[in-house]
Amino acid sequence: MDVSASNRRQFLKLFGTAAVIGSVAPDVLAHSGRSIGRKTTSLTILHTNDVHSRLDPFPMDGSRNAGKGGVARRATLIRKIRQEQANVLLFDAGDIFQGTPYFNLYKGEPEILAMNQLGYDAGTIGNHDFDGGLDNMVTQFGKASFPILIANYDFKNTAMDGRSKPYKVFYKDGIRVGVFGLGIKPEGLIPRSAYLETKYLDPVEIANNTATQLRAKEKCDYVICLSHLGFKYNDSTVSDNVLAAQTRNIDLIIGGHTHTFLDAPVAINNRDGQPVWINQVGFAGINLGRIDLTFEPGKAVYSSGKSVEVS
Amino acid sequence: MKKSLLYLALIGLLACNPGGYHLASRKANRIGVDSLSASTDSSVARFLQPYREKLDKTMNEVLAQSTGPIDKGLPDAPLNDILTDAMLKQATQRYGKPIDCSHLNYGGIRTNLPKGNITIGSIFEVMPFDNQLVVLTVTGDMLQKMLNHFVQGSGLVVGGIRAKIHDKQVQAVTFTNGRTLQPNENYTVLMSDYVANGGDDAGFLKNPVKREDLNYLVRDVLIDYFRQQGKSGQPINPTSDGRISIE
Repeated sequence: MDVSASNRRQFLKLFGTAAVIGSVAPDVLAHSGRSIGRKTTSLTILHTNDVHSRLDPFPMDGSRNAGKGGVARRATLIRKIRQEQANVLLFDAGDIFQGTPYFNLYKGEPEILAMNQLGYDAGTIGNHDFDGGLDNMVTQFGKASFPILIANYDFKNTAMDGRSKPYKVFYKDGIRVGVFGLGIKPEGLIPRSAYLETKYLDPVEIANNTATQLRAKEKCDYVICLSHLGFKYNDSTVSDNVLAAQTRNIDLIIGGHTHTFLDAPVAINNRDGQPVWINQVGFAGINLGRIDLTFEPGKAVYSSGKSVEVS
Repeated sequence: MKKSLLYLALIGLLACNPGGYHLASRKANRIGVDSLSASTDSSVARFLQPYREKLDKTMNEVLAQSTGPIDKGLPDAPLNDILTDAMLKQATQRYGKPIDCSHLNYGGIRTNLPKGNITIGSIFEVMPFDNQLVVLTVTGDMLQKMLNHFVQGSGLVVGGIRAKIHDKQVQAVTFTNGRTLQPNENYTVLMSDYVANGGDDAGFLKNPVKREDLNYLVRDVLIDYFRQQGKSGQPINPTSDGRISIE
């Protein structure tokens, strides 16, 4: 089973134009009249979503996912990639908790401690991360060696007040990467007793404000949103697809909640006509998402509304 | 023409950037995590081991004994009765008020309970889903509709109610607490949030008179109940009281 070859095919099919850009970049950069011979910096983004307390692989019981996943295997993969790549960032898009008896017994401790061992750089909050209540969230997230990023929950008057940050800027070899988190509407989804006075703020408005701040004030070269909104809905419910189309300044949305298995990222044009990548890799740690970026010094030549995506 | 398309595509990919760098390329790969793609990291495995060992011990905790297998079945069976009665008993304590009846979706009862030792692991096998208990207050009309819906669908599993099925319609409903089913009176029904949210095609339940979430997992209810049964020292004798019968 050659997963990477099949992914490459999917990728080329969906993003034929984008996929060959790396090879033509020097030619194009010549048009901007600068950057020739300048240093290229690479950055690898690794990501998971909806791992749902699946620390062990699925049991070998003949079911669809038998033998897949497992945090100790994920550790090996991540360690190998860190050995090969100078600049790696590892993120999770929420629903770390709930789904195996590990959570029922330990309330999330081994999940968080395992993420520490794997060297996660940040995570956001999924609806099931409320399942042990806000006090448990404080206890377990307090054990994390990585920040919990969430920009659209106001935890004032709750135990979580001051325990999360809206965003964080990472510096990798001169590249400034801004990362922020977005959570789903708790009402109707999470028992009230589990989220109490947590206020849900409009994700589109918050995302626009936060991404603009990261781009303009924090001078970020690349902006990533960790989202637990869900990939896409049939109605007008805000999703990653809606978010991408209605915002500016986001380059990549790492999504979760809907357990969507995307073969390759989906590109949606934002309000400036720029194609935002949305990626989501299923659930339960069955997959690890990997996105390899390269950066060149200097500003890009900018032309709005001219993006070409091959479908 | 092809080259200019590529050129436009690249420009489109590059965000307007006041910083020192711009994106020059991007590619993606989805890596399957399995025994073929990666071996087990020994340090993480060592870290997990004590958690797993204690977990296994927890799963093996014997809650109660049964003199025979406790099986599910339709129109009525020992497992149907004991699960819905357990829900009613435990949730009433949590709710603090009497609840008229309880309901489980038949498909949500995943397997039978064994003869002999009933462990926490056995309960996880019967109820692997993390469904929470909900108390819906509904009119008699809606309750009648709900009873018919499940008789005609996946199967009716209830506690606190006796009824007869005639021609796929539920009739002669009586409550254990002595109430009778009146179209315009209100009744409290204990069920999983899965059904209350419209699961099993029960979308009509989304507009009850009132909905109260107990934040109490159905599985935890059952674990608490069977543990109490075990403490009584009496083994469970699987029986069905014939609460649902077909005429």
